[in-house]
Amino acid sequence: MATQTFEPVPAATKKGAAKQPLHYRLMLTTYRIFAVTVLYLVLIGVVCYAFVMGFYAVNSTWAAPVILSAQDEKSLDFREKLVTSQQTIEDLRVDTAKLEKGLEEMQAHRASLTPLEPELEEAINREQAHDRATGPQLAALDKQKLADNKKTQALMEQLDSTRADIQKDLAAGLITRSDATSELAALNQTEDGLTDSRIAEVLLTDEVLDKTNIGTSSLDVLEKQSELRSEAAQLDVAIQVADKQLNEENRQIERLHDAIQTAKQSPYYLNAAGQQRIYFAFVPYDDQANATPGSPIYDCYLNMIVCRKVGTVGKIFPGEQQATHPIFKTQIRGFLIQMDLDHTESAKSKTVFMGSKPLLF
Amino acid sequence: MAPVLMWLIMVLCLVISVAKYLMGLILRLAHPGAKVRKDYSYEPTVSVLMPCYNEGKTVYETIESISKSNYPNEKFEVIAQDDCSADDSFEWMLKAQRDFTNIRIRVGRNEENCGKARSVCNALEHSVAEVIISIDSDCIFHPEAIRELTACFGEPGIGSVGGRVGVRNPNESVITAIQTIVYYTAFQLYKIPENWTRSVCCISGCLFAIRRELLLEIEPSIRARHWFGIPVNQGEDRFLTHQTLLRGYGTYIDNEALCWTTVPNNLSQLFKQQLRWRRSIVRDFFFTLRSLPRHVWKLHPNTVLTLVLTPLGAIIGLLVVITSLVSDPMAWAGPVPMITALALAGVLTWWINKFSVHEAIEHPLAFGAYVAWAVVSSLFLTPLALCTMDSADWGTRAKPSEVAVGNANI
Repeated sequence: MATQTFEPVPAATKKGAAKQPLHYRLMLTTYRIFAVTVLYLVLIGVVCYAFVMGFYAVNSTWAAPVILSAQDEKSLDFREKLVTSQQTIEDLRVDTAKLEKGLEEMQAHRASLTPLEPELEEAINREQAHDRATGPQLAALDKQKLADNKKTQALMEQLDSTRADIQKDLAAGLITRSDATSELAALNQTEDGLTDSRIAEVLLTDEVLDKTNIGTSSLDVLEKQSELRSEAAQLDVAIQVADKQLNEENRQIERLHDAIQTAKQSPYYLNAAGQQRIYFAFVPYDDQANATPGSPIYDCYLNMIVCRKVGTVGKIFPGEQQATHPIFKTQIRGFLIQMDLDHTESAKSKTVFMGSKPLLF
Repeated sequence: MAPVLMWLIMVLCLVISVAKYLMGLILRLAHPGAKVRKDYSYEPTVSVLMPCYNEGKTVYETIESISKSNYPNEKFEVIAQDDCSADDSFEWMLKAQRDFTNIRIRVGRNEENCGKARSVCNALEHSVAEVIISIDSDCIFHPEAIRELTACFGEPGIGSVGGRVGVRNPNESVITAIQTIVYYTAFQLYKIPENWTRSVCCISGCLFAIRRELLLEIEPSIRARHWFGIPVNQGEDRFLTHQTLLRGYGTYIDNEALCWTTVPNNLSQLFKQQLRWRRSIVRDFFFTLRSLPRHVWKLHPNTVLTLVLTPLGAIIGLLVVITSLVSDPMAWAGPVPMITALALAGVLTWWINKFSVHEAIEHPLAFGAYVAWAVVSSLFLTPLALCTMDSADWGTRAKPSEVAVGNANI
């Protein structure tokens, strides 16, 4: 096969470059300035971004100011709950007062019932002893009375012949009518006396029965004794229940009172109820060591450089809070502090630093 | 409104990219119609144009591999054009000319360094063949490469055909392993849907075949390319492909026409090479925008979307990422995107190891490095290219002061 080497090919490109028109050169210069600016801006942006990310990843002195408004949903909610709690306490106090009064009445009534029981017992015993004594006597008298009545009855059977004799005597004129009437009246009186005696005997039998056996009157007494005991027991239970309820309500009042006292220390309450503007900052748990009352607070340009002291850490609120990390935008846990600011505009900064300047200047 | 638009564009770009990869997979596995109708009986005369700059002995090996091509020797020639190499590349060309006498080798030299594109044009001046194949001087070619490329011209309407470029040094470093995955996925997946519509947007300059009359028609435009007066010597392959499509011809990548290139083995060179490629994409983007109606009218929608959305998506993507990083810096830290990307890269690596033995990747962490590079490449290179459009630096060739003169004359 044939081989061949050419002569060098003349270059035409440089000539073209030399004849670059003015508007091309202007465009190119503009483009280069623009491109270099953009590239440096991007480079600076990337370096700054990486630095900020790294800085906030390792820094443990930052806090994020939080501006709480009285109209803030959380503050309003908090206030509403506080009012509800106070109302509940008031309601509970009224309830306990009622309960206490009722309890006192029940206890007084119970106290009045207490001596009745032995008195009743004693009366029953006394009556029973008396019955035991008088019962046999009455029984004997009842027997005697029954025998007397029988004798009287036998005598009364002769009264008809006596009455006939009186009539005969009157008809015979042996006696006057007046005498006859008197004698007849006496006879009737005798019959009437026998009837009374019989009634008395029956009543006596009843009396004997009452005194020698458990009769209805005894049962009544026992029923009353039982009622008395039941009433006392019911009162005891009611007193116990009322007492428990009273204790429980008192405890609840105490708890609510404590809760309200704690709530009154909350930033949301202070913010909603306070007369003065209070400035708060969220501190993540990682930065807790630097959040001590009295520590200086610094505010910096670009969130990290050229810092100045703007105030001190005031109160530290113990309740846990959740917030979004100002740089990483992740959810973090921490707590709120009160900032005593000399420069109140720092409350609007994205971050402030506690204890010392983050970069020494 | 603007953020929504940005998101929409970025999502559209992602959807199109993912769809292209998926389509590539489906077509590769299930649609033979995606392949061109080859005519192996068609044996046109072929000129293999080989511009060269500071390649040293590699150029000798390249010519050697070409000389072993399974193609009628009388029907092809090699025209090697040295672009004023500072090393002994020209001597190695001459040595190859002396050693491989089974084929016709012609060697030429530019009067002064003028870049690859113009070196190709200079070499073209000496060619009379029907099909011109432009190659890189650092590649090794499969003996069937020329036959495969010319056979594709059997299908009417095909104007340019490219070969599949494999990585010659996949395990030289993790950087070369990354590029192995990049090259493989580009040729075996991403370009397959473009093949289907005969509208490949960029045929690699490593192995680029074009009809002579078409190249002659485009050649003046190649010589005239400039960026506000600065001659453009880069991205002639993308430019040629684009021009082929605009002239109504089809473009195609023949994955059976193989060549192997030595890819950069360090990050600096890789970065410069990728930046150079990205400048070509940006140039193409502006060119497309300048004559958008013509593109929309003449080109396949797939091509127009690729030409417009690839660079636009990269720029928008960076803006979206910056916005996201500012508004939610930890958003990227979620495990799902990272695991998904790593899993995909792992599957790709496994796939390459299984189906392309020559490119089997040994580095165990290559797939992770690939994901990292993909992020950097996708987000930063296009904006950077946009800011360095006036650069004519090739990036992957040693400067004259750095080259060591070899022993080509022995």
